[in-house]
Formats: sequence, C-alpha cells, structure tokens
Amino acid sequence: MTALGFAWRSLVRQPARAALGVLGVAAVGALLLDMLMLSRGLIVSMQDLLDRGGWDVRVSAGDLPGSGLRVPHALETAEAISTLPSVQAVLVIRSASAQIDRASGLPLRTAFQGVATRSTDPEGARLRAPWTILRGRDADASDELVIDERIASEFMLEPGSTITLRASCVADLEALPATRLTVVGVAEFPFQTTNESTAGGTLDALKTACGGNVGHDADLILVRSKGDADGTAAAIRAQHPDVRAATNTEVVGRLQQTGFTYFRQISSVLTTVTVSFAVLLIAVLLTVSVNQRLGEVAALRALGFSRLRVVKDVLSESALIVGIGGLLSLPLGLLLAAGLDRILKGMPGIPVALHFFVFETGALAVHLALLVATAIIAALYPMRIVSTLPIAATLRDEVIG
Amino acid sequence: MSASNGLIVDAQQVSRVFSMPAGPVTAVRNVTLQIRGGDHVAVRGPSGCGKSTLLHMLGCVETQTSGTLFFDGQDVSRLSDSRRSLLRLRQIGFVFQRFFLLPMLTARENVELPMSEAGITKEARQQRVRELLEYVGLAARADHRPSQLSGGEMQRVAIARALANGPRLLLADEPTGELDEATGAQIAALLDRVNQTGTALVIVTHDLALADRAGRVLTMRDGRIASERTK
Repeated sequence: MTALGFAWRSLVRQPARAALGVLGVAAVGALLLDMLMLSRGLIVSMQDLLDRGGWDVRVSAGDLPGSGLRVPHALETAEAISTLPSVQAVLVIRSASAQIDRASGLPLRTAFQGVATRSTDPEGARLRAPWTILRGRDADASDELVIDERIASEFMLEPGSTITLRASCVADLEALPATRLTVVGVAEFPFQTTNESTAGGTLDALKTACGGNVGHDADLILVRSKGDADGTAAAIRAQHPDVRAATNTEVVGRLQQTGFTYFRQISSVLTTVTVSFAVLLIAVLLTVSVNQRLGEVAALRALGFSRLRVVKDVLSESALIVGIGGLLSLPLGLLLAAGLDRILKGMPGIPVALHFFVFETGALAVHLALLVATAIIAALYPMRIVSTLPIAATLRDEVIG
Repeated sequence: MSASNGLIVDAQQVSRVFSMPAGPVTAVRNVTLQIRGGDHVAVRGPSGCGKSTLLHMLGCVETQTSGTLFFDGQDVSRLSDSRRSLLRLRQIGFVFQRFFLLPMLTARENVELPMSEAGITKEARQQRVRELLEYVGLAARADHRPSQLSGGEMQRVAIARALANGPRLLLADEPTGELDEATGAQIAALLDRVNQTGTALVIVTHDLALADRAGRVLTMRDGRIASERTK
C-alpha cells in the first residue's frame, strides 16, 4: 500500500475529522484565491479596459486621464499627432453634460461624448469611438447618436428612435438648447459607472447639441500607434511638451502607485492571514490525529517501517486534505469573487466594466503553490513527532496506558 | 562474528540505562544471551524487571548503553536507523500485547502491509497473505476489519502480520495478556507451530502456562537474568 493509499484510509477512518479539515481548507482556499484575484484584479481589468478598441497611448492635460483638466486646442494637437510617422490614428474625446427630456417629470441627466478621428492612414481613418456597439450602428452624422442600455430601457428607445437632448459644453448653468437627434445604435461605454448614463456621437453632433458652443478643448486624445506605443508616447511628448502622453501600461503603472496599492496591501495581509489559518488548522488536525495513533506508528516502526515511510504517510495525509479542500476551493472562490465583485462595484464612481476580482492563470499558480506550501508546513510538526518517536518507550507507554 | 552456526542474536553484557529526572535507571544490567534458529525462549519476571526492554533490544528497537549486540553477525549499535528498520522488516517479527492492528485496514491488508513495505510484488503478496491467513485459521475472515474480530482473532492476524516477511526471529510481548485463558492457549499453540517451522521465538510473559511451553525459560530480576531453566 502506497503512502498516499495509506493516508487515504487514515482519512476515511475518521470521516468527521477529514471533512472538517477538507471544508476548512476549502473555505480558506476560496478566500485565498479571492485575495490573489483581488491583488491584481483592478490592474488587469483596468489594462483590459484601456486596451479595448486598440488605442494604446493617451494624451491628457493632467497626470492621469480623467483628472478634469482639458487638452487645449485639441483638434490642432490631434492633427499634429496624426502626422507623426509612428501614429496610425488619433481620436479626440470631448464630454459634455446633457439632459434628455421626458414626456413628463424631470429630465434624465446624462453625459454626452463627442469624438473626432484624425488619421493620415486609410485604415486608421476607419477606426471608431472607444465604445462598443451592442445593437444598431455607430453614429456618423451630426444628427445621430448612440445611447447606453440605461437610456434605451428608460425611454424605450431602439435604433431609429429620436430623442430631444439638451447639452451644455461650457457651463451647467447656461440655457440649454433643445436638439432632436436620431438614435442609431445602443452601445456599451467602458468607463461608465453604475449610476451614470451616457450617449455618444461625433464631435459635430456634440457641437450641434451644444448650439455650436463647444470650444477648442478636449478631455482626452486617444492615439493608436503602429506598434511602438512607448516610442509614440515619447514622440508626442517631444512634439507637445505641454501635454501628458502615456501608454496604457504607464497609465496602469501610475494607478498602481496611487489608489490600487491599497487593494494589493489589503490582499497581501489577508492572504498571509488565510494561509496562516490554513496551516494552523491542518497542523492541529494532523497533530491530534498522529497523537491518537502513536502506538500504531510505533508498532509499524517496530515491524520495520522506515522513518521516511511514516513521515511520508503524514505528509500524504496533509496533501490529501489540502488537495481535496483546494479543489473545492476553486469553484467556491470563484462564486465568492463574483458576489464580492458585485458588492464592490456598487461603490460610486466605479466603471461598470471594471472588475475587482479577475481570474488569471498566474493567480491560480500562486494559489496552488501556497496550498502546496501549506500542506508541507502544516505537516512539519506532526512529521517531526512520528520521525522522532521513541519506538520502545511508546510501545511501553501504550501498554501501561 | 559469523551467523553460519545458526546464531541469530548474540548479546554480550548488554545494559540499558534510562535517564530519568530522579536519576539514571538501569532497566537491563549486563545480560548475556544467545538466540539461535529454532530456539523457543520465554522471559519471565515481575513488572519493571527489564523483560520488555530486553525484548526491544533483541528486536533492534532499543539500543544498549553498554555491551555488544550482534544480530545475524551485524553489530546493531553501528547500524543506521534505516538499516535497523530494514533488518526488522526482513528478519524480525513483532507480536504485541495490544495487537496494534490498523483499524482502517482489513485482516488481509494488515498482513499484507509489511510485505508491501518490503517491496514484494502484488501477486506474491496475495499468495502469501492467503497462506498466512489459512495458517492462522482466519482465511474466512480475511476481509474483516479488526473491529469485527475477537481478541484472539486479532492476535492471530497480528501473528500472521509478524510472519509476513518470513522472519528468523519472532518476538512476542505478553501475546496472551489481553486474552482469556482458552484463547490464550490457542495463541500459545499457534506460536508453538510457528516455532516448529524453525523460527526462533522469544516470548515475554507473565503467563506461567505459556512460559512452560518454551525450551528455555529466563527469569529476570532487577534487570538481570536471575535464573535460566532449559528443558
């Protein structure tokens, strides 16, 4: 009988103890997996959001896109950037606050994004806005727009419908002109938060909605390089020292240094706590189990079982508890992560498409490595008990006891 | 030291001293003893006289603090722990007062365990288990767990397990200590049969009837062999 087979029989012998160990490891393992998914989840998810649409360099007025500062003379700047040899396409994004009139009641406050593409490359000229069309098509003309699902469901709109929208490009307090626009598509806006609604169209459409009062600034300029994002960002910085140009990776790096650090720190602390808890749980169970059968172990040693063999038996028992519990922890951890993700995404200002918990093979590998380490570390003390067990004294004590 | 003359154990002036908080305690004092193939030795004496310690030294689970002990020509004190384990696995069988069968294994699996550890092939193991369980009269109970067996049956399984790898020396520590008189007599008869096949047998016992079946009866007192009676 192999050490693993022997360990299995030892576990089955005391099903309640085995179940306790397995369930404990499953719960702790699920938390561990979640902490690992959380530690890099925001970073991976943010990188994914930024990479959507293939725009790999972001030009903004502040250190981070979305800081509120606007890029001055945005169209001229975009035009100049589009002439850089490493650039395939440039997209100017200008946001405005808007209201959509209801038949009765208060109008719905929404954001209206106007975009304009600049490219010297025919393929680049075809690139569209950073939103994803779910139904219908993208807006091309100055009297067209796309809307998000929230607006579509609230106003029961579908491609082909028309809406009356009042946009303000300069100040919230100005008198908003009413503009009738045709809905041509329903889209998903990647950075839209849970409580927001967004509409999008061309910069000309925004200009129309704002009564021509759009100014020359933009919130953000997105750039698609021909493959060298770092070189393109450097070229833009050289061409326009007054703006900040950063690759998506650099933007994520800056976010990592600021807000995302807390999640990593929390996850590191909780990972350490959960692993320690798992080690203690298994170590206690194994130690109790081994202490209950010292006589049997001593008898096996007397019968010729080597020290290595009895150590292997204990290690195998630990590996089985952690292995089975670890397997159970995977679906449990994924379910728990989905629930926690939903709760955390309910916080204000969090983009709907952003996830706190993201499954990665790297996280799974670390999870497995930590469980293996748990099995070994938890078994160290009980392994020491059986390896240093005085055979004769134990046999004597068992008879006296 | 040659083992060609049938000599299995040659203990010369062996002593075993235990360090205790109240001071050293000498459990076995200058014992000289030889065990040959086919010997049937019983060790008697009052509790605490050193019988079990002597048995454990003969079985290489306890090392002497002075004197020399050769097993099959090998100086046991010079063997590593793994070599002593191997020696016990292949040459020595142990029968314990409390049987120490593994409760999660069947009788068959308990008997098979030492053979498995010795690396014997599955087919050979199965064949040998059948023979041994038949030998101890428990072929019909092969698939029973220890909890489903009586005390006598458990001890018979334990004897079969001790014989699994064909040991030259079988050591039994109070093998009838937990059994009633009639069952004890059955176990004694079984041990006699084992001995008759040439396996040397050393039994530590308080049971006079069991000791009387031995060819040599050693009586210990205060760690020494106070008397030796040979039939």
